[in-house]
Amino acid sequence: MDFKNKNLEEIYQSLLTDKEKLNTDELKKKYSSKEGLLTKAFSEIANIDKKDRGEYGREANELKKILTEILEGKETEKKEYSSKERIDPTAPFDVNIKKENIQSWLDTKGTKHPLTSEVERWVEIFKGMGFNVLESKQLDDDYHMFESLNFPVGHPARDMYDTFWTEEGQVLPAHTSTMQNRAMKIFGPPPIAVVLPGRCFRHEATDASHEHTFHQIEGIYVDEGVSLGNMIATIKEFLQKYLDTELEVRVQPSFFPFTEPDCEFVISCPFCKKAGCSTCGHSGWIELMGCGMIHPNVLRQAEIDPEKYSGFAWGFGVDRLTMIKLGINDIRYLRDNNLNFLRQF
Amino acid sequence: MRYTTELLKTISDINISNEDIVDLINTHIGNVEYSHDISKEYEGIVVAEIVEKKDHPDADKLGVYKVFTGEETRHQVVAGDKTLEIGDKVAYIKPNSIVPYSIYEEEPFVIKAIKLRGVDSNGMLGSEKELNIGPNHDHVMRLPSDAIPGTPFAEYYSFNDFVVSVENKALTNRGDLFGLVGMARELVAITGERFESPAWYRNQKKNIKPEQNCLSLDVVNDAEALCPRYTAIAMDNITNGESPTWLKSALLRLDVKPTNSIVDITNYVSALFGQPLHAFDYDKIINTDPAANNKITINVRMARDNEKILGLDNKIHELNDRVMVIADNTNPIAIAGVMGGRDTSVDENTKRVVFESANFDKNSIRRTSMDLGLNTDAATKYKHSLDTEACIPALLKAVELTKEITGGKVASEVIDIYEEPYQEQLITINIERLNIKVGLNLKKEEVEKLLLSLEYRVKSKGDGFLTVIVPSWRRDVAIEEDIYEDVARIHGYNNIDIRLPHKDITPLKDNKIFNLKKEIRKTLSDLGANEILTYSFTSESNFQKSNLDLDRAFVVKNAISPELKFMRTSLLQSILSKCKENIQRGFEEFGLFELNIPHIKGYVDENSLPKEDWHLSCILNKNNIQDSGSAYYWGKKYLEKVLNTDKCNYVLIADSLEQDLPEDVKVILPMFDPNTSAICFINGTAIGIVGEFTKSVKEEFKLSDYSCGIDINLNRLLELDVKRNQYLEVPIYPTFSLDFSFETKDEIGCQSMISELERILNDKESWARVECIDIYKSPNMKNVKRTTLRVIASKYDRTASDKDIKKISEKVIKDFERVFDAKVI
Repeated sequence: MDFKNKNLEEIYQSLLTDKEKLNTDELKKKYSSKEGLLTKAFSEIANIDKKDRGEYGREANELKKILTEILEGKETEKKEYSSKERIDPTAPFDVNIKKENIQSWLDTKGTKHPLTSEVERWVEIFKGMGFNVLESKQLDDDYHMFESLNFPVGHPARDMYDTFWTEEGQVLPAHTSTMQNRAMKIFGPPPIAVVLPGRCFRHEATDASHEHTFHQIEGIYVDEGVSLGNMIATIKEFLQKYLDTELEVRVQPSFFPFTEPDCEFVISCPFCKKAGCSTCGHSGWIELMGCGMIHPNVLRQAEIDPEKYSGFAWGFGVDRLTMIKLGINDIRYLRDNNLNFLRQF
Repeated sequence: MRYTTELLKTISDINISNEDIVDLINTHIGNVEYSHDISKEYEGIVVAEIVEKKDHPDADKLGVYKVFTGEETRHQVVAGDKTLEIGDKVAYIKPNSIVPYSIYEEEPFVIKAIKLRGVDSNGMLGSEKELNIGPNHDHVMRLPSDAIPGTPFAEYYSFNDFVVSVENKALTNRGDLFGLVGMARELVAITGERFESPAWYRNQKKNIKPEQNCLSLDVVNDAEALCPRYTAIAMDNITNGESPTWLKSALLRLDVKPTNSIVDITNYVSALFGQPLHAFDYDKIINTDPAANNKITINVRMARDNEKILGLDNKIHELNDRVMVIADNTNPIAIAGVMGGRDTSVDENTKRVVFESANFDKNSIRRTSMDLGLNTDAATKYKHSLDTEACIPALLKAVELTKEITGGKVASEVIDIYEEPYQEQLITINIERLNIKVGLNLKKEEVEKLLLSLEYRVKSKGDGFLTVIVPSWRRDVAIEEDIYEDVARIHGYNNIDIRLPHKDITPLKDNKIFNLKKEIRKTLSDLGANEILTYSFTSESNFQKSNLDLDRAFVVKNAISPELKFMRTSLLQSILSKCKENIQRGFEEFGLFELNIPHIKGYVDENSLPKEDWHLSCILNKNNIQDSGSAYYWGKKYLEKVLNTDKCNYVLIADSLEQDLPEDVKVILPMFDPNTSAICFINGTAIGIVGEFTKSVKEEFKLSDYSCGIDINLNRLLELDVKRNQYLEVPIYPTFSLDFSFETKDEIGCQSMISELERILNDKESWARVECIDIYKSPNMKNVKRTTLRVIASKYDRTASDKDIKKISEKVIKDFERVFDAKVI
């Protein structure tokens, strides 16, 4: 096909080369958007000599038709198969391939994600202390997220958790405590010792220290005669082992509907030894996790007699502890999946 | 919730330093959000008296003053206010001091000694706004005439005080701590002293008589279920001006804006008790209610549909029948427990008021506050279970202050609608259990003393038991364990006996999926791939670009943004985006993998919850690769490593009827190019896919043509009873090698030829292993290919002779002709 108008011929030629190189959106942008070449060519019509105008119009329309065909072709192609030949999936390599051209393993530095490798370490430590492992759900129901944890419907404490819901009615767990009831049923009757790592979600804007998606490790321990003192000792033991240093620990009051008493676990900053540094916000102390004695109603929901048994639970933030340990100052690094970052671990 | 140490000390003797108070609150009550010394904001500011006044020679709007600050030197200050007169008292900000309003800004405004249009100005005379006292910025603030020059401003305004703010989250169940009295009680108890609430906090004497002509006031409660108590009183003869300095100062320190005396009184009483109060302008109710007839009937009821109210925030709020309101005979005049109405609000001309002190259901207030998007101080307090017994004392405290400050007189009886009066709650504590559960060793007497200090009362004592009456303001205390917490908290969590629990040595249950993931993570990272963690959320356009069906995605109802509105149905779609980002960063060769859970609508578990299977998804990409054929084979190598294929038999099948496939495989099928991908089966069950993506998917995510994806359902893999391949005895005699080149039809799979060879060559007498070394096709070979297979074999009983080898060779050729219609080349 030839176009008499030089400009239209140029557009046609470039269209022929772009046809293979560009995808639908890019083609549309280049040719048929407001600033597109073809759109411009149409607006040029006013500047064409009157005698050539009819011819120009026909040619421009022809060009538009060609573009439409290319775009439609792309759309069907998208739904169809590639132009490649059917391979033999059971063969070890493709036909006519020379031995030296068979691709081997990647010649790059492979890594585990820093968060998962830390979780693996923690789980190892907890396993050594006699804790089972069960991973948390990512879509759950109201019963496990709230009701079984002593949050009655309409309870203001539900506001503390900026929870995501699906239109289909599921809840995206805002804490790994969503697994407490299940874990007690699965590993019960007491003694029960289990850690519950998992992904959690909260409706929060993302910044250097907040994420709508984060990870927690819940722990529960239920037996006869279990005390708050047992809880403090257990968490302290774990942290000392993980951070490989002696720590001073402090327990502060807090509030959670599913524990009674409720506490916040605070450690002396392992970096500055309480002198004050940026990690601990110059306070010398780091708030690490919520914890407490499991509320009798929560035990009852899991068919455990609170008259006979007691237990403790904790939930700490995987991201935060990882950041503290590895000296990462912005939580977004953990989610960007930038290879420049990942290949350092 | 914000407190100040000086205001706490007005309630009870608290002889502890500010720093210790912060520490005690942190360790015994809840997390301190921030704390600071207010006087620091007013350093270098003193009370001064205007002693000289001149006009500025070059500026009409500036006045030149000399001020006396108790020192010999008079300071000359140029001010943008010509209305000051000699003898006026003002706040003088000395040079090199910071103007209070700017103290927390990035670059605080420091006053300098300068010339203003040629006249020396040594300092500044502060306006209300500059001093953080009020909104006025037109004039220099005048202080009352009794202010003594030279007094530090912080001292004059009682700003020598220390603010402590506790996270509301930590007080979620403690309505009593939303008042200063509650916090003072805790602090006193922590120091081991016995706290006694002030008399006014317990003042239930509601038989006060009107002091003058009675105003008509009536209350009808039509929402009893949500309004357990409503008390009110009318007052007359009020002069509602500016509040006295002590009251304004107290409010400012609590971060409440002073308005006028009546409003300030309600706010101050509310801060003391944690019990919100509201004041209505009596005359405005009469005037705005067409059905008033000089009588006020306050009606507590649910709003009617289409009712509206103009709030104190100057916005019109559309109400509905879930919202409780306070109404006159006709219209709502307040949103109960949340916000008053503009039309009946108190202003400086108010002469007569109605005070409301009521108790509302916390859930109802929470709902209204969320529905209308109104987060007021009153709503915050009501959301935390307040004490119905506090209504009357708070109302009476407001009356007392109104008389004192505004000259107001009581003009009605105390109205009290309280259908179900509070019943005292008794709880019996087992001291031994308390000690075991907390890890303490307290005697009954010690527990008793501690609870008395929090104003619990002892009803009876037994051997090892204590029965106490819970204070009416402690609505959070319902069970014995709640009292354990009080004991543990006040005694000090850090005085608890710390010891590890004793556990039996029952072995742990294996978490197979956790272990498998760990193994895969190790395998793939050893082979150069990088593990990533991506969001479970994605966008509509990501579905389109990935060729995935949006209808199978769960939709997030309250998504943060449209980009995060849908739950992914495959991990691959998230990894694709991350591939694109890394390609744009300049990476050409990489493998990205994720171990996580995709969610597919309609794919449910035995409890009808979305079925959550762990998947491994991986994408491999290399640029500028030529003559290597399809990247499918590259992916297959990785898949085999992951599956640990020496241990299990698997089959890769390109053609599969879609309807036989599990949901998770079916869903991702459209992402893959059917000519260059295959479904992986083990024991007849499809566990995943490996191969190249369609051309459009590759293009959308900028993947190289040499790229591929792998997806495996790990839960399904574990459910299979994967059997180890049979072990074969290995012969001790030397092996020999034989190459066969077969020409077959294209559709004869390489693996089937290898398997057939291995089948016929392994028997009682001989052992053999087979590998493919070449597959060849040329353009003139129609629908046929040549496959070269190498056999390494040996005999069990002797070294193979040429004759043996020939026999084997013939056997193979004959068999392949029969089974595959193959020609030997």
